[in-house]
Amino acid sequence: METIQRINHYTAYRPRPFTREERATVTILFGGLTWKHERLIQGVMHNLGYKAQPLPNITRADLDAGKELIDVGACCPTIFTTGNLANFLKSEMAALGREEVVKRYVFLTAGACGPCRFGQYHESYTMALDGLGLRDFRLFLLAQNQLDQGATHGGGLEINLPLSLGLVWAILCADVLTDLEYMTRPYEIVPGETDRVLRESIEYLYDVFRNRPQEKLRGGKLKVFAWHVLTDYFTDALRDVRKRWDAIRVDRLRVKPKVKITGEFWLQTHEGDGNYNIKRWLEQEGAEVIPPPIAVWLDYLLHSPITSEEWKGAERNRKKIALIRTLEHIYHFVYNRFRKALGNLPYELPDQEELKHLAKPYYHYELRGGEGHMLVGKALYAYRHKKAHMICELSPYSCMPNTMSIGAMANVLGRYPDLLYAPIEVKGDAEVHALSRCQMILTEAKRRAHAEFEDALAKTGLTLEAIRRYEERHPEVQRSTYRIPHYGYAGTAANYVMHLARKMR
Amino acid sequence: MRIPTLRTLFGKRASAASPPKDRSSVRVGIPKVLNIWSTHQFWVGFLTALGIAPENIVFSSDTSEEQYREYGKGRGTVDCCYPVKCMSGHYGELIFGQKKKIDVLLSPMIYSLPSFLRGHVLDTLTCTRVMAGPENIKAGFLKERDVFAENGIRYVSPFVSLGEPEKVPKQLYLALKDVLDLTEEETARAVEAGYRALEAFNQKMRQKSREILTWCARHERPCILVLARPYHMDPGIGHEIEAELQAHGFPILWMQYFPTDDDLMHWLFGEEIRAGRIKSPFDISDVWPSSYSSNTNEILWGAKVAARCPWVTCVIRFSSYECGMDQPTYTPTQKIVEASGTLYFKFGDLDATKPAGSIKIRVETIVHYVEKYSRDIIRRKLAALPPHCPLLEEAPSTSESASLAA
Repeated sequence: METIQRINHYTAYRPRPFTREERATVTILFGGLTWKHERLIQGVMHNLGYKAQPLPNITRADLDAGKELIDVGACCPTIFTTGNLANFLKSEMAALGREEVVKRYVFLTAGACGPCRFGQYHESYTMALDGLGLRDFRLFLLAQNQLDQGATHGGGLEINLPLSLGLVWAILCADVLTDLEYMTRPYEIVPGETDRVLRESIEYLYDVFRNRPQEKLRGGKLKVFAWHVLTDYFTDALRDVRKRWDAIRVDRLRVKPKVKITGEFWLQTHEGDGNYNIKRWLEQEGAEVIPPPIAVWLDYLLHSPITSEEWKGAERNRKKIALIRTLEHIYHFVYNRFRKALGNLPYELPDQEELKHLAKPYYHYELRGGEGHMLVGKALYAYRHKKAHMICELSPYSCMPNTMSIGAMANVLGRYPDLLYAPIEVKGDAEVHALSRCQMILTEAKRRAHAEFEDALAKTGLTLEAIRRYEERHPEVQRSTYRIPHYGYAGTAANYVMHLARKMR
Repeated sequence: MRIPTLRTLFGKRASAASPPKDRSSVRVGIPKVLNIWSTHQFWVGFLTALGIAPENIVFSSDTSEEQYREYGKGRGTVDCCYPVKCMSGHYGELIFGQKKKIDVLLSPMIYSLPSFLRGHVLDTLTCTRVMAGPENIKAGFLKERDVFAENGIRYVSPFVSLGEPEKVPKQLYLALKDVLDLTEEETARAVEAGYRALEAFNQKMRQKSREILTWCARHERPCILVLARPYHMDPGIGHEIEAELQAHGFPILWMQYFPTDDDLMHWLFGEEIRAGRIKSPFDISDVWPSSYSSNTNEILWGAKVAARCPWVTCVIRFSSYECGMDQPTYTPTQKIVEASGTLYFKFGDLDATKPAGSIKIRVETIVHYVEKYSRDIIRRKLAALPPHCPLLEEAPSTSESASLAA
């Protein structure tokens, strides 16, 4: 023993336990998604008796704080999120004092992402804690692919089915609502109405999650699972939400290019300074944005083990593969129920097998890390199915996996030169450069949207005046919740013309 | 009398009717990049066992700016770290720069590695850029037209989990069966031969390192440990910085080939294992809980070794510009090494151009400190370890000692 004491070797950060008794007094901090997702997650946590609070939305000041605290060369999501935590803790320390902050808060974040350094984010967090003199602040990791991890780190947080299913259901609800938001706002007749209704809807859904019936969360795992899958509790709530959106009137004759957002998980999900507010900026520039649902990422996580099980021997692992496929079907079933409750307006989830198949000549589906083959697959999916005029891929500067698939996209563009693709490298502090790059591609996307629209008018023989007259007689078509089927055009306006032409016949 | 069944009948006939295929004239080019630097012997062993003549296994040259300018220019599809970016030059050299044309360009997508830490860490995956690099680089040779086909070359890029040997035969068979006309059985045998060749090479290198370390121990001389990724052994990537230090008389060890013999490991880590701090000498959970990445894990392990091994008085760390895998390890690695007073110097942001002037100045600084402090560092670290160092208790090899001293 004497020998070890002479040199005090370095050890990694180890948080002290967060105990069950502390649940009533300790607040779990979390972040990294959108305010909508985070508010519903908060509802889930409150429902289970946890004190929980999302970190404030990311700002440019977080980038500066992060840079000061962690090693040089980090990707911007790491810098932003580290700085975000640091700035919050600093402000709380100023208000409450260091000891209170250490006592009152713990931070929960996702970990374990295989080869990508995303799984090493916590090293940056702990470095920031060192820099702030908060080595004894508690930070815990949550595995992304295990629904039931039991009581962890002292029992303060129990990762069980009521929590995990609540989190997944909250994410799916926020996703479908986000789709609705982005397909409505560019066409709203009364400015600001979408945002207002969205806020009300999220608050309403927060209450829905906060008030999940406790008796349904007790008992066996199968019972809890079955209730979540089969209950009308969430779909009824979404139908109520839909009624609120009925009141929003839209003008779908505004010709707008559809821009599908893809990219690195954090950057594509984020809404704020972290990605230059690019989704709002695109809307201001006259585009309709297709936001990336987190549900696709969860679907990818669910689907991926099938390949490795097949490698081990499809015959030998038949039952396991069948179980995963069943879970996938249930997952899609739940998502589609939520979509249906919102009038099937939110986009359907792409078939993971199709994404794999589309990407195969360009990017191997077993290359893990980041979004793997999905970036190539999603771009081709949108192109082939005419879901969008343009792909805007958001990746952090020096993102390791995504730079590789961006490189592979050169091969895709060689074969499909008319696929409009804007890979945007985000550093966090080079807004003008990034946005102007996006704008160059957007100009062509706008031209195509207009060409499509003119084509639809020519094909149908309709005029704008005739459409306006029809809208006056049939105001329901101007509801934001009125569903326009897909007639082979990417743009909303062109499909709208085609739809009204059929209605007028 | 044994009645022949259909299976035995056809089985016998099939094996009798299939003589070994003659692949001796097939020329296979392998870009000498990324984790080929730590697995080349596997590929040599594998291909040789399949009947490819050794002289027909062609590795591209060491990386150089000239190589990229001549063969890779205009082929890049995205800006990224130099170890990946330079691959275009390697591909181009194999396609355009061979007097005797290659038939197959083999650029494996290595997903995981057969690391000596496997079983002690969460995983031994390669960097995401390392595994996906070939998909990125091939795009530069396909985006306008199929350059491989134009030059009569079959491009093949097997996805291969070298860290999981049981998967490898199937992975390589499926990827190469049409290109090399393989059977499953011979692929499996060749894979075994590949692993044997790799293991033999690694053992040989570790033995060599042990001899160097033993010499240092006997003569109370310091040595310098390099913490870097395998491709930093490439003179065009690591810029031979360690050679400049060696020229000053300091033996150089690479972490990848540090001896892992039981006696030495238990001398260095035994107390910590008994104290329950770690489970084995190769357990790095005390310093790096997210142990997914193979090369990162090994760097962290190397830092631990450096912090404990008395004659390693100095660590030099190499890192390429924009290396996202290295980035989170900078501070932990430095802290691990410096905890025992071992000297630590980092050469970061290495890129295509060799910064000869700054290397020279820094080498002089390093030499100064190593000369000044090594004696104290050795004494302090020795005092923290149990007596009876296995390196000092083995019989000296006179020839090795003489050659090292010289």
